[in-house]
Amino acid sequence: MTQAGPLTLTPSTPLAPASGWLAQIGAFLLLVGVGLLVLPPLLSLAAAALKAGELGAVTIGSLVGLAATTLSLATLATTWAMLLALPLAWLVVRTDLPFRTLCRWLAVIPLAIPSYIGAMSYIALLGPVGSVNTWLSTLIGAPQQWANIYGFWGGVFVLGLFTYPFIFLLVSAALEATNPSVEETARSLGESPLGVFRRVTLPMLRPSILAGGLLAFLYALSDFGSPSLLRVQVFTTAIYHQLNTRFDQAAASLLSLVLVLITIAVLGGQQMLLHRRSYVTITGTARLARPLHLGRWRWPAALLAGAVLGLSVFVPLGVLLAQTGSVGHFLEVVREQGDYIKNSLMVAGLAATLAVILGLLIAFTARHTPPRIDALQSGTIQIGYAIPGTVLGLSLILLYNTYVPWVYGTAGVLVVAYLIRFLTQSVQGVDAALAGINPHLEEAARSLAASPWRVLRRILAPLVRPTLFAVWALVFISAMKELDATLLLRPAGFDTLPVRVYVHTVEAEYTRAAVMALLLIAFTALPWMVVTRLREKKLV
Amino acid sequence: MVVLAGVLFAVVAGLLPASPAASADRLVIYSGRKEKAIKPVVEAFTKQTGIQVDLKVGKTSGLANEIRMEKARPRGDLYISTESGIVEILTKEGLLEPYQSAATKAVPEDFRSAAGTWTGISGRARIILYNKNLVPEKEVPKSIFELTNPKWKGRLAIAGTRERTTLAWATALVAVKGETFARDYLKGLHANDLKILTDNTEVWQGVGRGEFAIGLTNSPNYYLARQNNLPVGVVYPDQDAGGFGTPVNPNVVAVIKGAANPEAARKLIDFLLSPEGQRVLVTQDYEISLIADVNSSEVPPLQSIKRTAVTAQRLADLEEETLKLLTSLNPNW
Repeated sequence: MTQAGPLTLTPSTPLAPASGWLAQIGAFLLLVGVGLLVLPPLLSLAAAALKAGELGAVTIGSLVGLAATTLSLATLATTWAMLLALPLAWLVVRTDLPFRTLCRWLAVIPLAIPSYIGAMSYIALLGPVGSVNTWLSTLIGAPQQWANIYGFWGGVFVLGLFTYPFIFLLVSAALEATNPSVEETARSLGESPLGVFRRVTLPMLRPSILAGGLLAFLYALSDFGSPSLLRVQVFTTAIYHQLNTRFDQAAASLLSLVLVLITIAVLGGQQMLLHRRSYVTITGTARLARPLHLGRWRWPAALLAGAVLGLSVFVPLGVLLAQTGSVGHFLEVVREQGDYIKNSLMVAGLAATLAVILGLLIAFTARHTPPRIDALQSGTIQIGYAIPGTVLGLSLILLYNTYVPWVYGTAGVLVVAYLIRFLTQSVQGVDAALAGINPHLEEAARSLAASPWRVLRRILAPLVRPTLFAVWALVFISAMKELDATLLLRPAGFDTLPVRVYVHTVEAEYTRAAVMALLLIAFTALPWMVVTRLREKKLV
Repeated sequence: MVVLAGVLFAVVAGLLPASPAASADRLVIYSGRKEKAIKPVVEAFTKQTGIQVDLKVGKTSGLANEIRMEKARPRGDLYISTESGIVEILTKEGLLEPYQSAATKAVPEDFRSAAGTWTGISGRARIILYNKNLVPEKEVPKSIFELTNPKWKGRLAIAGTRERTTLAWATALVAVKGETFARDYLKGLHANDLKILTDNTEVWQGVGRGEFAIGLTNSPNYYLARQNNLPVGVVYPDQDAGGFGTPVNPNVVAVIKGAANPEAARKLIDFLLSPEGQRVLVTQDYEISLIADVNSSEVPPLQSIKRTAVTAQRLADLEEETLKLLTSLNPNW
C-alpha cells in the first residue's frame, strides 16, 4: 500500500488545448469518425419522422400520456435502483461486510440478466397464476389473487432490480479510486460515519452516481422487453405497434424522435448537475481504505445485502433453473448451441474492446476541446443509447445496405449497432473517472515534454484502469444481451444467444429457453468474474 | 493498451471467417413461421436437393419491415409469413416476385394471391379455447357472438393486434358483418372486460392455467396447450348453416423480388407443396393442410370446417379501417 501524499480539494479547471498538430489532427479525425458512426442513423430518423407530416395515428393526447408514463416509469425505476445500489456499494467497498468479495461479484450479475428474462421469471413467480398465488391459495384455501406483477409498479420493480448494477459498478469503482484519507480525516475530526458519508463521500461520488443513474434512466427509457411483457404502455411499445402492426415507419420515427428529444432534455439536466461543482484528489495513488468496522451492525447489513442480491440474482436464476428440467436435457441443449455462444462472445467482445478504446480517446480529447464541442460530441453519443433497438436496426439496414453493403452482409453491422447503442457507457464511465484526476498531474507531465499520447498511456490510462475494466465489462454485458437490433441486423444463419432465447420463448419451448438464458447469463458473467479475480490478485 | 490491441486482433481474426458469406448457392429464407415447424422441412429439402439453406427466423411483421428496408439490395430469397394480409401489402409495394408452382392449382383460391405472388402452405383456424375446469360441458359457447353474454364478464382473453391473426379475425368480422355490427359486437366484448394480451402464447397459457375461462386464438394453440397437460377444450365456432363460420388464416410463402437465388426459392415452394413437404410441415405444429389429399390425423381436415368467406385482398383493403375501429374502442389493441 502506498502512503497518500498531501491532499487538497480543488475545483477542476479546463485544460489548455492540446498542443502539436499531430494531436490536433488525431482529435479531429476522432470527432469525424464518431460523427460518421452516430449521426447518420439520427439524421435518417429525423428525416423519416418529418415524412409523417401530420401526426397520423399519433394524437397529441396519446403523446402526452405516453410521455408521462414513460418518464415516471424511468424516474421511479432509477430511484429504486439508487436505493438498491448505493448502500450496497458503500458496504462492499468500505466496510467489513461478511462475504464482501462474493457480494461485490454477485451484485453485477443482474446486469447479465436481460430485463426481459427478469420480467419473465417474475411473471412466473408473481403473475396472476404464478407460483406465489398458487402456493398461497392452496395454503389458505381460498383461491385469490394475492400478487399481480403486471402493470406500472411491476415495471418499476423489475427495471430497478436489473439496472441498479449500473450505479453499483461505477460508484464502487469510484469509491475505490477516491482517496480514503479525506474520509478518515473527517472521521478523526468527530464526524459520525453517516455524516462522513453524507458530507464527504457523497459529494466525491457525485459524478459516478450521476453517470450510473443516467445509464439506468436511459436504459429504462429505451427498454422494450420488460414493459411489453409487464403490459405497461410506454414509448417503445407504442413504437413497436406502429412498426409491426400498422407498418407505419413515419409514425414510429416520429415517436422515436420524441423519445430522443426527451433524452436530450435529460442529458442537458445531467450536464447542469454535473458541472455545478466538482472535486479532484491531487495524488495519483489511491490506497485502499481501512474497512469500517460495522460491529453489531455487521449481520443486519449482511441481511440487507442478501435481500438485494436475493431479489435480483437468486430469484430469477432459481426460476430459470426450475424450468430447465433434467441435467441430461440441459447438456443436450448446450451441445447443440456451441456456435451461438461463439457468435455472441465474438461480437460482444469486439464491441466492448472498441468501445473502451474509443471511450478512452474521446474522454481524453474531451478534456482538451472547448466545452461546447465536447458537450455536442458526448451528447450525440449518448443519444444513440436512447434510440429504441428496433428503430435503430431498421435505419441501419437502410443506410448500411445502401452505402456499405459489404459491412451489412456480415456480423460487423452488429458491432456497429452495439457501438452506437453502448459507446456512451464507456465514455460516461471513463469521463467520470478522469474527472477525479487533477489536471495538474497531466500538466506536470506535459511540462516535462511528454506527448499527449504518452500522457494518456503512461499516466491517465493506468490511473483509471479499474474503470477501464469496469466499462469493458459494462459494454460487453450490454452487447451480449442486446436483442431488438440484433434480431433485425444479424446475417441469416448468424444467431446470438439472446436471439435463441427469443426464438425458443416465442415457440413456447420454455425448457430450451431457460437453458439458453442460463447460458447467456453464465457467459455474460464469466469475463466479469475473471476480471474481479485478477484484480483481487493485483494482476491488473 | 497492448493487451487490448491483442484481444482486438484475436477477436477480429476470429470474426471474419465466421460471418457467412453472401454466396449465390445458399438459399436465404426469412421465416415468420416457428423454427420448430420450418426447420424439419428445410432439412428434408436440403437432403433431397442438396441446396444449402440459411434460415433467419423472426416475427412475421419484423421480417416484412426488413424486406422493405432491404429493397435496394435484397438479402433474402424466400419469405414465409404467418398471415396473408402482410404479403398483400408487400405485393402492393412491388416487393414480391410472382411464382405459380404446378401444385398451386390444388390450393383453394382464397389461399393464394390473385397476382400470383404468394401461395398458402398450411392453415390455422380461429377457435374458442376454453378451460374445462371453469366451463361445464353444457355451457360451452358454440358461437363467438355468445361471448357478449354477461355471464362471461371478466373471463375472456384475446391477443392484441400485434398478433396479425387477431387483426385478420377482426377485419373478417368488419368485411362480412359490416362496421356497425362489428363495432357493437366488440363493444359488447369490452363491456364484458375482454382482456387484451400481448400474444397468443399468453392466451393459451392464461386459459390453460385458469386465469381466463375462454380465449379467442388459433387452432394449433389448442394442441400446444394439450401437450403441456393443460385442461382445455376447443370449439370451431359458428359452424351452423348460414353462420359466420370461422376464419382460416394461411401460412404463406413468396419469392422476394430481386432475390439472389430465385431458382432455389422456387424449388423450395414446389417442395413445400409436395405431399412429402406438406406432411412434414403440417404435422410439426398441428396445422391444417390446404391440399385435399394430405391430412394430419388429429386435426380436422379443411373441408370439415365452415370458413368465413372473405378474400385476402379484401382483408388487406379493410385492415387500416379495422385498426382504427379497434384502437378507438380500446388503446390496448
